[in-house]
Amino acid sequence: MKAFINCKAKEFKEGTRFIEVVKLIREAKKDEPMIQTIVKKTGKDNIVFVLNGRVVKTHEYESFEIKEGDDIRWVHPYFGG
Amino acid sequence: MKSVWNKILKVDLTNGTCGPEDLSDEVYEKFLGGAGMTAYMLWRESPRGTTTFDPANRLTFAPGPMQGIKQTGAAKWTAGAISPSFHLNADSAATASFGIEIKEAGYDAIVVHGRSDRPVYVVVDDDKVEIKDANDIWGKNAYEAEDGIKEAEGDKFECVTIGQAGERLVRYANIQTRKKSFLGRCGLGAVMGSKLLKGIAVRGSQSVSVHDPQEIDRINKQINKRLIEMDNEKEDWLQIKRVGTAMATELFAPQGNLPIKNYRLADFPPGVKTHHASNYVKELNAKPWPCQYCVIQCHNLCEIKEGPYAYKGKGPEYESFAMVGFNTMVDDVKAVAYACELANLYSLDTISLGVVIAWAMESYEKGVITKDDTYGLDLTWGNAEAMVEMVRKIGLRADGLGYLLGEGCKIASERLGMGSEDWAVQMKGQEIAAHNWRAQYISALNYCTGVASGPNHERGNSQHIWVGHIKLPEWGIDEVENEERWSWENAADRNAKFHDYCNVINSACHCKFMEFRGYTLTDLCNTINAATGMGWSLEDLRLCGDRITQLQKLLNIRYGWKKADDFNFPKRFMEPVDSGPAANRVPVGLEDAIMDYYRERGWDEEGKPTMAKLKEVGLEDFAE
Repeated sequence: MKAFINCKAKEFKEGTRFIEVVKLIREAKKDEPMIQTIVKKTGKDNIVFVLNGRVVKTHEYESFEIKEGDDIRWVHPYFGG
Repeated sequence: MKSVWNKILKVDLTNGTCGPEDLSDEVYEKFLGGAGMTAYMLWRESPRGTTTFDPANRLTFAPGPMQGIKQTGAAKWTAGAISPSFHLNADSAATASFGIEIKEAGYDAIVVHGRSDRPVYVVVDDDKVEIKDANDIWGKNAYEAEDGIKEAEGDKFECVTIGQAGERLVRYANIQTRKKSFLGRCGLGAVMGSKLLKGIAVRGSQSVSVHDPQEIDRINKQINKRLIEMDNEKEDWLQIKRVGTAMATELFAPQGNLPIKNYRLADFPPGVKTHHASNYVKELNAKPWPCQYCVIQCHNLCEIKEGPYAYKGKGPEYESFAMVGFNTMVDDVKAVAYACELANLYSLDTISLGVVIAWAMESYEKGVITKDDTYGLDLTWGNAEAMVEMVRKIGLRADGLGYLLGEGCKIASERLGMGSEDWAVQMKGQEIAAHNWRAQYISALNYCTGVASGPNHERGNSQHIWVGHIKLPEWGIDEVENEERWSWENAADRNAKFHDYCNVINSACHCKFMEFRGYTLTDLCNTINAATGMGWSLEDLRLCGDRITQLQKLLNIRYGWKKADDFNFPKRFMEPVDSGPAANRVPVGLEDAIMDYYRERGWDEEGKPTMAKLKEVGLEDFAE
């Protein structure tokens, strides 16, 4: 099954839960300096995830599976300047 | 085409005449509006040989096709002309409501040329346009000028005005609107001053018709919901409406991105502490001050209730407090905010201002200037009182150093000599912004090769691939490793894409800050299509950006750009800092990267667009 992460197609197994995608992205970003700063200060990375144009709330991550063709984006907490 | 009027307003200050002029769909289909429109007007009406303060320099104020759609971020608009600081094509964007009002008055642009024989301001009240005497407000600061115009014309007008620095031709004078937003960079305020134009007031009552109002409504609702929820998911100090761009301080320090001590130091802990978001909000009593339709609300209204720096008004953005605070090593957030507001009153771009004061401080440190030159001020690093006083001297163009610094640090260092050119951190005559090239080499490449508005962090914001984690996945920029900050691989491609992206967004006239909250290129493309009916693809969007970039390059060649200008970067680019995350990082190989960029753009070895490239973007008839 193909879903898109920031426009790039990626293969996922049927039944993949959204939380697994979140973990995948968080793992890939954890060593970035700004993410480390934010984690150090707040205890979490504050990355926000968007599915098909809609923000997915933290409590929803485990509650559903991704589907073929889903457009998943992650947005960094920094803003402006 | 929908969402445009096919009509511009021409204002001839030499002859004192004004009137509408029709514009064909083809112009909008090629250049959209905004920055594309200002470049087009220069191409059409300011021939080779036109100089900055020449009456023939066209000063164009242009909204775009997004100013009638009430979308968050769509309060943006652009102005452009030949720059007083780097003498090439220049554009700068502001927000608030002036661009929307131009649109509602029934125009897609106001194009000013000529020079008045007395101070004037222009009043546009739908189709009634007048040029009026401005003697009563000439000599006033920019906010007093806006008050004066509104007192005479009524509160319902949206205004742009200049202060004393614009009148007195400070080469980095800005233009303000609503006492909160600024055409900050490239000195357009001095172009107004050279025309003896103190302000423009606009009031409109018309609604432009859009292609698909239901789709616009659907997109707006979806985006508003997403952007609001995005902020609510975060800690307080990461929420835009709470702290604006002040959140950048703590996040930029670990990346080595801050400009400190005229870009000579890696860290400044007292500054990081005092300019930190939470301290900023507390000390300045910052409250959200949103632009029209905006759900992000990054602007701050600040109030310092007592003391030498008491004021109520605009709170400084990241670029302002970084340049005026970090770069001068002033860690008093109140003094920095006050100095920035003084700059706003006089019409000084705070980015250039911070660089020229830092240049003067370094000159003072090295004994090149002394108290005899500084009006007795002890211009040492971190001296808040001296820094604030220098802002006054520059803003009013006081005889001596104040006047000299108003020329920018290129001219100032050339006149002062004694090696001071070595620490003038500028290119082509414009000072470098608050994104440190040592933290990501692509910033150096952007500063060297940008054609929209000189060296400019907002006309090719590729630094945000790392600094703000902004990607353009629809155009192929997505996963990028942190270590690639210091690599030239893919830099030409990324730099070109961000130049084109900035041109598209500044021509559609939308706020780039929306992208920091998940507004995508797809959203932008869908919105443009719903507004105009053009049916563009994401590739068409890129083509438009490319076309505008090529037009700007043609203009720069017309006005005297030489290949050597791109390679004459500040000496400081190659001077390392000895600590921090960017320790010993300097952009070695920059010259080769510039040549790579030329090839990426379809330019020849001299950095000029080839005819094949011009044909590809539909500009073969624009070649000279």
